[in-house]
Amino acid sequence: MNKTSAEFKSKLKTYRLNEGEYDMICGLLKRDPNNIEWALFSALWSEHCSYKSSKVHLKKLFNKSSRVLESFGENAGVVDLGDGERIAFKIESHNHPSYIEPYQGAATGVGGILRDIFTMGARPIALADYLCFGQPSAHRMTSIVDGVVRGIGGYGNCVGVPTITGQTEFDKSYDGNVLCNAMAVGLFRPGEKVFLSKAKGVGNWVVYVGAKTGRDGVHGASMASESFGADSAAKRPTIQIGDPFFEKLLIESCLEVMKQDLVVAIQDMGAAGLTSSSFEMSSKGGVGFKIHLDQVPLRDSSMTPEDVLLSESQERMLLICEPSKFEALSAVFQKWGLDAARIGEVTEKKTVELHWKGEKLTEIDPDLLVENAPQYQRPFKVLPPQNRVARREWTSKRAGGANAAKCLDLCLRDVRGTSRKFIYRQYDSRVGAATARDTSDSVGVVRLKDSGRALGVVLGCRPHIMRLDARIGGLDAIAYPALELALKGFETLAVTDCLNFGNPEKENVMSDFVAALDGMNQVCASLEAPIISGNVSFYNETMGKNITPTPSTGLVGLRDSVENMPESFFTAPDQLVYVLRLPGFMTGGADQESWGTGPQAIGDLEGRVVGDFVRVARRLSQAPGVRATRAIGKFGLAYALARMTMPSDIGAVIDTEGLKMMRPELDETALFEEHLYEAFIAVDASRAVDFEDAFSAVRQASPTAELHRVGRTVQGSLEIGAFLKVDSAQLKESYNSGWSQNFESLA
Amino acid sequence: MSVGVLRFPGTNCDRDVFEALEGAGRKPEWLWHADQFDSRKHEALFLPGGFSYGDYLRSGALAARAPAMKSVREAAERGVPVLGICNGFQILCEAGLLPGALVRNRGLRFIDDWVSLRSVNKHAQFARAGGSARLPIAHADGRFVVSDDELKKLQDRGQIWWQYESNPNGAAHDIAGVMNEKKNVAALMPHPERAMHAWMGGTDGVGFFE
Repeated sequence: MNKTSAEFKSKLKTYRLNEGEYDMICGLLKRDPNNIEWALFSALWSEHCSYKSSKVHLKKLFNKSSRVLESFGENAGVVDLGDGERIAFKIESHNHPSYIEPYQGAATGVGGILRDIFTMGARPIALADYLCFGQPSAHRMTSIVDGVVRGIGGYGNCVGVPTITGQTEFDKSYDGNVLCNAMAVGLFRPGEKVFLSKAKGVGNWVVYVGAKTGRDGVHGASMASESFGADSAAKRPTIQIGDPFFEKLLIESCLEVMKQDLVVAIQDMGAAGLTSSSFEMSSKGGVGFKIHLDQVPLRDSSMTPEDVLLSESQERMLLICEPSKFEALSAVFQKWGLDAARIGEVTEKKTVELHWKGEKLTEIDPDLLVENAPQYQRPFKVLPPQNRVARREWTSKRAGGANAAKCLDLCLRDVRGTSRKFIYRQYDSRVGAATARDTSDSVGVVRLKDSGRALGVVLGCRPHIMRLDARIGGLDAIAYPALELALKGFETLAVTDCLNFGNPEKENVMSDFVAALDGMNQVCASLEAPIISGNVSFYNETMGKNITPTPSTGLVGLRDSVENMPESFFTAPDQLVYVLRLPGFMTGGADQESWGTGPQAIGDLEGRVVGDFVRVARRLSQAPGVRATRAIGKFGLAYALARMTMPSDIGAVIDTEGLKMMRPELDETALFEEHLYEAFIAVDASRAVDFEDAFSAVRQASPTAELHRVGRTVQGSLEIGAFLKVDSAQLKESYNSGWSQNFESLA
Repeated sequence: MSVGVLRFPGTNCDRDVFEALEGAGRKPEWLWHADQFDSRKHEALFLPGGFSYGDYLRSGALAARAPAMKSVREAAERGVPVLGICNGFQILCEAGLLPGALVRNRGLRFIDDWVSLRSVNKHAQFARAGGSARLPIAHADGRFVVSDDELKKLQDRGQIWWQYESNPNGAAHDIAGVMNEKKNVAALMPHPERAMHAWMGGTDGVGFFE
């Protein structure tokens, strides 16, 4: 092709490929690509499908453990829990669609992640959502929040999978590019088989099941691989429309055909639809496909073969079936009101042939598209520790001087600190009748029916720490949720991550990416908790402005039973309140940006040290007499204590002596500092000796860990040294009214 | 005799109800929406919650016209105890087996929460103990509506089964559950199958399955 022609330039733009990639394609094909091949390469070589900017770094992730059965490369990671139980889980982003069209964007994000789970044969048992919104006052933000929450609820509630945990952040860096990451966990009960996407068996049929193919989502994958400009609304036609009722039928029918062993291999049609599913299944299986695109069930008969290949219509699966079993398979789908259509067969020669009404459009080696995508070593710098100061210097400007009670009130009413009940009340948290802890707790817990054990799920990544320092932020994205699990007695088994970053072609974005992965890796290695699934979402950039680097994580932990789990709030008066802490790293807490002089930190942290501390926290939380545990996070100890008074109206008196052990430089700002890491533990007074003995017995595993007795629980109020005394009713009022103050029309 | 559990496309509390019945020592048996069944073969029938037919048209409207509902009607006429939960309540209203209708919540949003209930009239088979109960709710169309005349009749005939202590959805007269005139068909919006063990948050659901 003439590279100077206007036609060539316009093709590169349409298909979002660059000239170097075009040269690579010509080299691989040993000729110019034809029209349909342009479309295929565009989709499969998009950042979204090929991970071309991240692959060189993802290879270094800690991903080994004896429990891991499947990892990256399949639809989701699979972990062996022992006792015949296994789980599949993954988190995935749907950021760009959720900004353009919040309801459908978020809904189809839930639908997509659920398909990744049940396509492997696991029944979805839990959902979790990690959301980052802009400031409440930002353009469209109220309607985006409303739409995203309704979309998640509308889909998850209908398919009947409980939402058991979540995290919601607000910051101006998401004003023009919100994040919507959905995680799903599925369970294989004893005896149930794991299904893979590797196509097998020459002569087997390629079968299409689920919804008909429409024009929605054509070019969706390449849309998601581009930054937003001023014309984001014009991208609305690339958004898919979901139907959770169809998904529910697909879940039940797919699990039924799997149980009857009628399926050889199966993959959902996600990003880049039929193209990615067929080429990946063929490439992984080392076999060829002959596909008749005109046999694909269509919603619109005027669709072109390119539309059919790239449509991202939802609720569709591609599977391989032995011809003799097709009738039985088809009967199951019919019972559930779905059609199974034979659209091709498995061939010996490893090529994918695409046919359309008697014409062969292309015959191409799937590896060229799946395995030979470019891999970029994008420029980055190794970042030095950032924002370090010699001594603490932030002050609570915002509260207008030394008034700790006023400051705490502001934290509880702030959009970042206030109750999320508006959100979680719209999600079914109990369908499945296995939920033991819901979104009101720091960890979501479902009970495993066969073994009676507890599975804990918690999300991580705190953008305010990421803004401080990308390596510490990455470390925290594993360590903080692992601590939350540990405080309820769970051992972290494995991790899924969703790496939301800006434009990877910018050096500072790539540097943050590399630093964050390094931090995550350190803690994962120390905890022996491998990262087994996830995705990368680059180009979270609008009008040249990048989001806070946000590597969200989903951690899954295991515990022997659902009994005797500590609560996250004070349960009775006259218990002793302890602090378990790891000295070494301090920040001004989440509110430093509005109170102080910008992000500041003192100290440093190592993954190994943090991992050891988490292990000690886990053992201590199972000690005799432990009734309540809570990590001290954003807004510091005052905020954590305030949260522990709800909903029981049991507060605490924290004495000055105890406070001084935690905060030698004691003034009112010390109540709002954040230290990595600390947790409150409330213990029955009668078991104090046993509890302290338990700490002595485990502390050698984390020699720097400290345990201090700082106060006791009381009925009805919270008192912290001489700094504040507030009625629990007042705390509750502030916490519960903050949401409507920020979003007047969402009450 | 077995307890029939109905399954429509989109029912999603079916397995939960099935397991609750098993846990209570009953013999549950699946009944498929597309098939009529012998209404004499079951000691009771359960219509679980969910989104039958994706709530298309109106919640419960399509399921109410499924072939299996002909058999449910026969069983109801014969006096077999029938319990509807959440979407099952919506289906029984749409089928005309219970009075009133369930429409979109006040506030127009889905509500997931725990509610406190008081029993107004006891039911001979389900939750015989009556009194009070704390159970989870999870619904978008849970606002019970009924004409004033009909409400008066419900009160006079003792057909009001459960009332909310604090009305979450705008239901008329705080109604959370009702019975038919013969008192064999009953339904409620809250989910007793989600309150069977202390670890679930409460055990007040147990009485509905015993």
